[in-house]
Amino acid sequence: MIARLLYLNWKLFLARLTRLQAALIIGYSLFLVGMFINILGTAVVVIFLDSTTAQLQMDLPWLTTEIHHLILLVFANVFWILHFSFTSTRHINVEENRKLLAYGYPANKLAWHLNLMSLYHPVNIIYNMTWIVFLGIQINSAWNIPVMVCAVLLNYGIIYSIKQRFLKVIEQRFRLIVGSVLFVIFGVITLVAIITRDPATLFGKLAFQLSEITAVLYTLPGGLLFHSATYQHEPLVTAALLIFMILLTWLIFRDHYYKTLSGLYSPEFRRTEKQISVIWAVLKKWLGPNAGKYFYYVAIHPYNRLQLLAIFIIPLVYVPLLLVLDFGVVTQILVPTLLAAIPVALLAMGMANMFGYEHKEMLLHMQLPVPLKTQLKERFLGIITVPLFIFYAITILEIIYLPELGTVFGIYIANTFFFLCFMLFFLWSSFYQYQTAKYSAFSYKHPIVPQKVTFSISMLIFIMGYAVFVPLGDLEPYRLWFMTALITAIVFYLWLNFESLANAFRRRILIKLWSDY
Amino acid sequence: MERALIIKNLTKSYDKEPVLKDLNLDVPAGNIFGLIGPNGAGKSTLIGVLTGLLDFEIGEIEINGLQLDTANEIEIKKDVASVLQPPLLFENFTSYEFTTYVCEMYGTSGPDLNDKIKSLFTYFEIEEFTYVKVRQLSSGSRKKLAFCTAILTEPKLIFLDEPFESVDVISIGRMKTIIRKLREKGVTVFITSHILEVVENLCDDIAILHKGKILAYLDAKSRRELQKDSSLSEIFEQYVEVRSSGEELLNWI
Repeated sequence: MIARLLYLNWKLFLARLTRLQAALIIGYSLFLVGMFINILGTAVVVIFLDSTTAQLQMDLPWLTTEIHHLILLVFANVFWILHFSFTSTRHINVEENRKLLAYGYPANKLAWHLNLMSLYHPVNIIYNMTWIVFLGIQINSAWNIPVMVCAVLLNYGIIYSIKQRFLKVIEQRFRLIVGSVLFVIFGVITLVAIITRDPATLFGKLAFQLSEITAVLYTLPGGLLFHSATYQHEPLVTAALLIFMILLTWLIFRDHYYKTLSGLYSPEFRRTEKQISVIWAVLKKWLGPNAGKYFYYVAIHPYNRLQLLAIFIIPLVYVPLLLVLDFGVVTQILVPTLLAAIPVALLAMGMANMFGYEHKEMLLHMQLPVPLKTQLKERFLGIITVPLFIFYAITILEIIYLPELGTVFGIYIANTFFFLCFMLFFLWSSFYQYQTAKYSAFSYKHPIVPQKVTFSISMLIFIMGYAVFVPLGDLEPYRLWFMTALITAIVFYLWLNFESLANAFRRRILIKLWSDY
Repeated sequence: MERALIIKNLTKSYDKEPVLKDLNLDVPAGNIFGLIGPNGAGKSTLIGVLTGLLDFEIGEIEINGLQLDTANEIEIKKDVASVLQPPLLFENFTSYEFTTYVCEMYGTSGPDLNDKIKSLFTYFEIEEFTYVKVRQLSSGSRKKLAFCTAILTEPKLIFLDEPFESVDVISIGRMKTIIRKLREKGVTVFITSHILEVVENLCDDIAILHKGKILAYLDAKSRRELQKDSSLSEIFEQYVEVRSSGEELLNWI
């Protein structure tokens, strides 16, 4: 039975992968295999050949043992946090799995098998294997191996326990993800940026603090895991560690088993809570019932909170960083691109999938005695309100505080062009790349916008950034006039063809909604 | 006699596969009309067409004296309400927010709306869910909420698709009481169902839809005549080609 369950579980996982995801997983798995072979190779080198430390010291003189340790510990701890977000805890979905009991699946077996299935889930395998490979590279002696493997299993069990008990918190895992991602991005990029400028001075200044930072990082979960692979082996310590960890792992998995079993026997009580939404009341008053409702759905979608956080935090940190570092022309392109991308990203949240939030509810909207054209028009105008406000605020701030980016007219036209092009792109996406906006704590896909659209957005932002903001010198006026002409054309096109939105909705979206219904 | 609904030669296809074939139907105003048919007969598609969710290739539809086309669409919708199966609701709204929203769109949100909502919600025993999100309601409560909301829009014609599905017996009785009250006020109630008992005691006129065609139209008088000798179920079986039960195939059970 477990084989069948595993087969179905893997099949489901693989069937849901897009080509890109499949390629990424294959690529990463190959990388892991490569690294594993590398461990073996290193072992051979260490045992049979001379150390290459001298060569390393010549190539990367700043990479002292302390700094190397620091980088490894930062990685270990960040990876540990990320592990939380991506650990698949599918068996928590007992509502679905409970049905198997009706087909004669023994409950105790099912509880055990569900736990095993979770452990064997592709994503968990990838994560745990990454730990083993990463820690495997660091081991000091062969005795570290069983301790390290036990530590990885124990770590998985602990993460699982925390996740089961605080599922609600994990569902709102945005801060964790954003925090860790920002930590990685800022940490790595700032580090690289600073190192490339003046590594010697920097590490000279930091050297006295490194030991303190490293000591703290060692006490964090990732550091403890790292320690399991690097501690100096002593027979008694190793034996004590092994016994302790095996016992703890066994207890935790036993706890998982009983928790799953009780979950299978006792369905979750669905509480009905009284809620009065202030957001809806405000939005209705501000934007009217149609646009207000649409905006309300966009605003309360859990995934959008993450997006909102990321949208505002990334430029807040990056723009000052880029301005301080001053890479010349690159900064001149990157800063306005990042700033122009803020309203675009906000626009994408609401507009890249205009009907996915309400989905079948749009059928009821169609039955209301309000012309579809009016409803769509209000939604369209409503959703551009906030991005447009942010767009103007940013443009004004650029004009005041960053005059080196260009003339008032230049900045205004460039930003408008940027914004309008994306607005057209998102309109296309809404009608031609429609999908239901779903949210699941265990989903790896973007829950609102199809992957090809999100990929195109990130590509387009930089292509457009270069096309619009790269300094052209004497040719600048030509580009400005060209953009002005295009802006006029786009605005007129949208104004004159609003009717076509309603037709496109009937032609492309309505039929899908009815089929889903 | 005034007609609430006139359908002439209606044909609707999905991928060139006709679901409704040259369908003709007249529904008198102020009638509780029942459309019965087996699963897949085309009942929901017909409701979809009549409520403006689906277009149709051939035919003419007149609702409350207005031709169903782009020009009259909004005028018609003002006097039409529907409760589909499953009911269409706004999941992230509370019951109260949903009902007031729909009434506002229909222009029936007068000063007494709150009292009306309260009385209807109390009657259907969903008042405790007034400020509960729709997505948290049980299927029965959802159906009752959709029904209450449809009533509050003050329609002249109301489409009820499988109205009593998932609803408890007491609430079914109350829904039937309201449906009869609506008839007294001159409202036309168009009910579709595949359960004959649902329409047998409630409806005035009945039509049998099978494979996209109206096989029979039985007004109240002719029904009374026919039902002297046989039940509605037997009449239904006469019209719909019912295959032999095939019990012999199940000897292995």
